[in-house]
Amino acid sequence: MDEALLEAFQRGERRALARLLTLAAHGQGSEFLYRLPTPAKASRVVAITGSGGVGKSTLIGKLIEHVRKQSKSVAVLACDPQSPISGGALLGDRFRMPSMPSDVGAFIRSVMAESGQGALAKHLEHMVQLLESFGFDVVLIETVGAGQGDTASRELADVLVLLLQPETGDDLQWEKAGVLEVADIIVIHKADLPGADSAASQVRTALDLAGVSSVPVLRVSARTGEGIPELWGAIGKIALRPRQQFSDGVELLRSARDELERRFSRAADSPRVKSLLDEWRAGTLSRNSATASLLRLLSELPISES
Amino acid sequence: MKANSPPLRIVLAKVGLDGHDRGIKVVARALRDAGMEVIYAGLWQTPEAVVRAVDDEDADWLGLSLLSGAHLTLVPRVMELLKEAGLSDVGVLIGGIVPESDIPKLKAMGVARVFGPGTSMQEIVDFLREPTGARHG
Repeated sequence: MDEALLEAFQRGERRALARLLTLAAHGQGSEFLYRLPTPAKASRVVAITGSGGVGKSTLIGKLIEHVRKQSKSVAVLACDPQSPISGGALLGDRFRMPSMPSDVGAFIRSVMAESGQGALAKHLEHMVQLLESFGFDVVLIETVGAGQGDTASRELADVLVLLLQPETGDDLQWEKAGVLEVADIIVIHKADLPGADSAASQVRTALDLAGVSSVPVLRVSARTGEGIPELWGAIGKIALRPRQQFSDGVELLRSARDELERRFSRAADSPRVKSLLDEWRAGTLSRNSATASLLRLLSELPISES
Repeated sequence: MKANSPPLRIVLAKVGLDGHDRGIKVVARALRDAGMEVIYAGLWQTPEAVVRAVDDEDADWLGLSLLSGAHLTLVPRVMELLKEAGLSDVGVLIGGIVPESDIPKLKAMGVARVFGPGTSMQEIVDFLREPTGARHG
């Protein structure tokens, strides 16, 4: 890790932040995070989720403007999916957000979420920590838009906002969406379109049935601006989650899981794993004992470099 | 490209007022299909907004599409702002309608390559994958 880069980051140089975010996105530089001083003040981390086309980027664009008017700084991490075929990605969220080139209080970063990894990019928690340490008052996270059951956002954000839109299905659809239970705020977006009222009342009913009637259901339209101040007000009423203790445990589990994944991908190179596989194919081992042996072999492999 | 090297990040944008975005979208898709991270900044961008995007996104490359004939006005401004922002190491590509006689002028400003009509997508991908140019190699 480049010391000059760390110093530049601590002096508040945006270039250094941008560079460190790239490293963090590739799972590098995490040792640096532990050397960062605890931020003077926690950022309000807000995740915006909902299915593709529901208006996440556009609404975030409006929220940026609203937050900036209150003289609070805001950073956005906009996740878009990786192509499972080519490994590339078209990150197009930035396009729908306002460009404010002279405003140092707003920062937008597009992030590729690896295919099959859920609604968030890998290592996103490190990116959030960097932004928090840099001193942003607000961090907005745009998920890739899985919409149903993306509970990873729940671990990372202080506030999880679920966007729904009119005419997206009958009332049973709301019952299915597991995310309804983990959302802190539900927004009926595109509220200028017909059907917003009935969508809002169906969601209200579903929440009452689930016993989470305290969750606000708000009508918002990024097009007309209706409901934006109310949404931001509701976001501000939710308490920030406790930081350190909680995220440390989660991170440890995650880093062990990542390490195990790396070992799996290298397992085929190990002669001992190869001979175990040969024995398994020959039918001389039970599934349980082969599994136990494989786990033991993996745990004996050296720690990966990254 | 090494299997483990992170994908190239490239910002694609149109500066100025021309509204023809078919070409840039085709290129965006081709680069995505070649395994790159394409940050699509879209139409009607100012040079300032484009440079800000390159900066915040920590991009390796910037691709500008110009079909308006304003390249000798807009490109120098972009190059100047990149330099001011300390981003001279970011490679710049131009695509679109540029008269043959203007290409040396653009190259003299530091543009890495100008791709005109009829360029194959493979040609652009191959150029970006060459080890020279992109700062992260």
